[in-house]
Amino acid sequence: MKAIFISFNQAYYEAIVTLMNHSSIRGFTYWQDVQGRGSESGLPHYGSHAWPTMNSAFLVIVEEEKVAAFLEQLHNLDLETEAQGLRAFVWEIEQTI
Amino acid sequence: MSIYSTAVKKPISTALIFVAIIIFGLYSLNRLSIDLLPKIEVNMVIVITSYPGASAADIEMNLSKPLENALNSVTDLKNITSQSRENVSLVILEFEYGIDLDVATNDIRDKLDMVKQSLPDDAQSPIIFKFGTDDIPIMLLSVTSNESTNALYKILDDKVANPLARINGVGAVSIGGTPVRELQVYCDPYKLEAYGQTIESISAIIGQENRNTPGGSIDIGSSTYSLRVQGEFTDVKQLLDLVVGNRNGKVVYLRDVAYVQDHVEERAQETFNNGIRGGMIVIQKQSGANSVDIAKEIKAKIPDLQKELPPDVKLGVIMDSSENIVNTINSLVETVIVTFIIVMLVVLVFLRRWRATFIIVLTIPVSLVAAFAYLLASGNTLNIVSMSSLSIAIGMVVDDAIVVLENITKHIERGSSPKQAAIHATNEVGLAVIASTLTILAVFLPFTMITSGIAGIMFRQLGWIVAIVITVSLAAALTLTPMLCSQILRLNPQKGILYKLIFSPAEKALNALDSGYARLVNHAVRHRWAVILIAVAIFAGSLFLIPTIKTEFFPTQDNARIGINVELPIGTRQEITRDLAARIDEEIRTKYPEVMMTNYSEGQAGEDNTWGQLSTSGSHIIEFNVRLYSVGDRLKMSGSNRGLTEICELIRKDLDEYTEIKRYTVSAGGGNNMMGGEATVDIEIYGYDFAQTDIIANQIALKIREDYKTIVSQVNVSREDYIPEYQVDFDREKLGIQGLNVTTASIYLRNRINGAIASLYREDGDEYNIRVRYAPQFRESLEDIQNIIIYNNAGQGVRLSEVAKIEERMTPPTIERKNRERVITVSAVAAKGAALSDIVAAANDEMAQIEIPSEVSWQLSGAYEDQQETFHDLGLLMVLIILLVFIVMASQFESLTDPFVIMFSIPFAFVGVILGLSITQTPLGVMALIGVIMLMGIVVKNGIVMIDYTILCRERGMSVITACVASARSRLRPVLMTSICTVLGMLPLAMGTGEGAEMWRALGMTVAWGLSVSTLITLIIIPVVYCVFVANGLTYKRWREKHKKN
Repeated sequence: MKAIFISFNQAYYEAIVTLMNHSSIRGFTYWQDVQGRGSESGLPHYGSHAWPTMNSAFLVIVEEEKVAAFLEQLHNLDLETEAQGLRAFVWEIEQTI
Repeated sequence: MSIYSTAVKKPISTALIFVAIIIFGLYSLNRLSIDLLPKIEVNMVIVITSYPGASAADIEMNLSKPLENALNSVTDLKNITSQSRENVSLVILEFEYGIDLDVATNDIRDKLDMVKQSLPDDAQSPIIFKFGTDDIPIMLLSVTSNESTNALYKILDDKVANPLARINGVGAVSIGGTPVRELQVYCDPYKLEAYGQTIESISAIIGQENRNTPGGSIDIGSSTYSLRVQGEFTDVKQLLDLVVGNRNGKVVYLRDVAYVQDHVEERAQETFNNGIRGGMIVIQKQSGANSVDIAKEIKAKIPDLQKELPPDVKLGVIMDSSENIVNTINSLVETVIVTFIIVMLVVLVFLRRWRATFIIVLTIPVSLVAAFAYLLASGNTLNIVSMSSLSIAIGMVVDDAIVVLENITKHIERGSSPKQAAIHATNEVGLAVIASTLTILAVFLPFTMITSGIAGIMFRQLGWIVAIVITVSLAAALTLTPMLCSQILRLNPQKGILYKLIFSPAEKALNALDSGYARLVNHAVRHRWAVILIAVAIFAGSLFLIPTIKTEFFPTQDNARIGINVELPIGTRQEITRDLAARIDEEIRTKYPEVMMTNYSEGQAGEDNTWGQLSTSGSHIIEFNVRLYSVGDRLKMSGSNRGLTEICELIRKDLDEYTEIKRYTVSAGGGNNMMGGEATVDIEIYGYDFAQTDIIANQIALKIREDYKTIVSQVNVSREDYIPEYQVDFDREKLGIQGLNVTTASIYLRNRINGAIASLYREDGDEYNIRVRYAPQFRESLEDIQNIIIYNNAGQGVRLSEVAKIEERMTPPTIERKNRERVITVSAVAAKGAALSDIVAAANDEMAQIEIPSEVSWQLSGAYEDQQETFHDLGLLMVLIILLVFIVMASQFESLTDPFVIMFSIPFAFVGVILGLSITQTPLGVMALIGVIMLMGIVVKNGIVMIDYTILCRERGMSVITACVASARSRLRPVLMTSICTVLGMLPLAMGTGEGAEMWRALGMTVAWGLSVSTLITLIIIPVVYCVFVANGLTYKRWREKHKKN
């Protein structure tokens, strides 16, 4: 099992949910309003006067074999519209109940 | 969930809600009636008290004065004026606008009850009369006839007046200018004397002969019959065979001493239409009825009525107030449509997207129809004010939608799906849009609080309509616009050849403009003090232009009507008046091709002519109604296109040529419109002594007339001339010796000259007076009067000359008073092109030169007084609005300096206004001032857009100067787009030529000039001033930090 943390511009929400459905990923945890900024070129998303956009975040736990395909799809989505901002990070799940 | 995400997620509900608004608005539009002006509440009450037999001076002392003293304490009273004439006192109470007149009337009634005790015993009870706009006739019909003149009254009464009065909403229908039939028994005084008869005996016999008497019932056999004596005359000829007495055993018939004429009243008002004798039908509406509807019905009925009339009687329309209303509203509808198209084109050029343009333009009808619902709900009408308000609002309603749409487009270009973009982009700008709408509301809502005078009535509606329209447009911008964007906007739509052909040059030009402007701002912020100096110089320079600006109250409107009142010396015979009237009429009709028809009346109005009673009439007075072709088709119909004031001016010159005229008034607009008539400055001279004030008034009138010919077209003095009359002074002692008294003697005199109504002659259900009097040839000289024989109870006759003397005397004129002092008013009418301020200066100048005794005082009033009052109110309002706008901005930015910086665009709005007024030579009136006030809200919008973005750039970490330049470049298009929309939206108003356009020209012009100049200067000065303030702020901050450390 792997954990995928996806931090993205709110505008992507529906697109990502669609991707998860296509990849038969059912479970997720979702934060609607989160703030953040990219490490290199990414613009801040603060929901403030200066940076009015906001991010959202998914935490998705999936079987290992699904991860590569899903990340690939996310990456394609990001490449289509780079200015929006979308990042995903994967790490190991050690135990579950 | 926010309102815009709901709207985007539920497109059907959103669309249908707005469809419902539109349907509701259109339904209201359908139900709304059309009128010229918003309903104007009456603010005048007249108290009429008659006191038969009292002279003007007696009336003043015994009636007017005590009444004034009592009524002066009525609350909310503005002015109290009175006119004391022979037999009657008129006390006119003028109230502040907007008060409840019913309460005031009750108050008046209470005060009258208190004072009644101290009024003379013979005086009748005071009558309270409210004169409102509803009493002004809505239609004047002309009737011409060649053969049926004498029977005209009956024909018109039966066939025209009665059917018209049955129309729903029609109040009084009066017939003027048509003489009423009367049977005249003309006696020969010598024959009367010879046969021992008198007028009194003859009229008594006629009265006794002309009678039907029921004789009771009689039973004959099995039936009951009623008995009747049918003594009434069935033919006029029967009168001649009446036996009036016996002389030396022989019967004296009426024909022996008199002849009978079945004719018309001797003295009557005569009316001519286009020079042909006829009549005039005056139609008044019931209070609250709609003029346009009634006029429509009347006009539909005229052809039917015409069929019933004899062939030589022709009906026509002299004045139809609905025509002006309909034309005015139509021209305003055109203005609204033109404005709509202009705004649409501007949006299209800037956005270069059909769909985006459609979305934005759609907010216009949605917001505007909401105003109709308001109008219907509040019981208003479609009138000049409401339509113009709509036209004003069009340019502003798209602003919010533009801002929202622009941001959504930006998000879509960045890659969002239209649906997500619509929600998030609207969320981002939502607050800014609400704030800028609030500043507009801060300007227009205070308008609804103006209560003084006509300005209050006009601008209350303007305020409400713009406020409502703007609020609805805000709602549409936050829901409808994002919803539509999410549905129909596409990323990079395909661009056709046509698109490239039209918009590529526009795109290139805009890009060049962007970079050019950015370079300019970059340069400016680096030379801040130079820019500020230039700006100050521009502002100061414009102040020098102020002396060239004139002021006025309201502009004169061209409603194609002229009223002329010509007075000949008092006592001029009607024949002479009639002849002069015909000559003037002929001259006006031949000289001015613009004249569509003329109508004039001369002579004394009868008692049953309601409208005639309200205006003065007499054998020496001629009243003209001249109707020109309406502004729209004047050129087409007449080949000449002179304006109303110009023609009035020329007519005044023509009238100057007639030496027999004592005085005349030519009033543009027909004299009865409450605003938009010609501006007058009234000099009121107060003083008790008639002679003293007369001299001053005439002196000043003469001087103004001569010294200021170019700016004053006519000067009138209110006090009428002393009236010459013959008074018969009976010697009581001599009367007493003859066994007579003054009453008996004077009745003898009256019966012979004025005639005695002996009885009524009945025919076809109508009654006509039978009047017995001396034949005309026996009452033409003073000797005839002196020879009148008065009989005492013993039957002995005595000639009037033996018991009385006839003296010619001048009786005092009407005594006018204002605020409990005698007053005489000199009113000066502004000539074409001259403004009120010129005349005020002239009047002040002339009054300063005249030596005025200490017991005489004077003041200026008239339109000038109203102007001063309204200007004062509007000045206060402007201060209030500036404060409100500041408060709204300060709370939006949560800062005091930022709104202060934005406020710098206001002085340059003034620069533009001053420049505009000065260049176009438009006087500063109420409308222009309203334009200036509106500007306060409109110009700061530009500043808000720029400063808001500059702050954003600074928060994103840019340096002050970079932030200024970047934001200036990025905000140029939205600023230009909204400003150009508003400016071009005002142009149809500013350049309108249709009926009623004069009124709004100044407003449109002021806003267009003020906003253009202010926008151009603001685009440079705002970044510069911002830099100065922020730079100084930073320096201060650093200095303080340094200070703290040390």
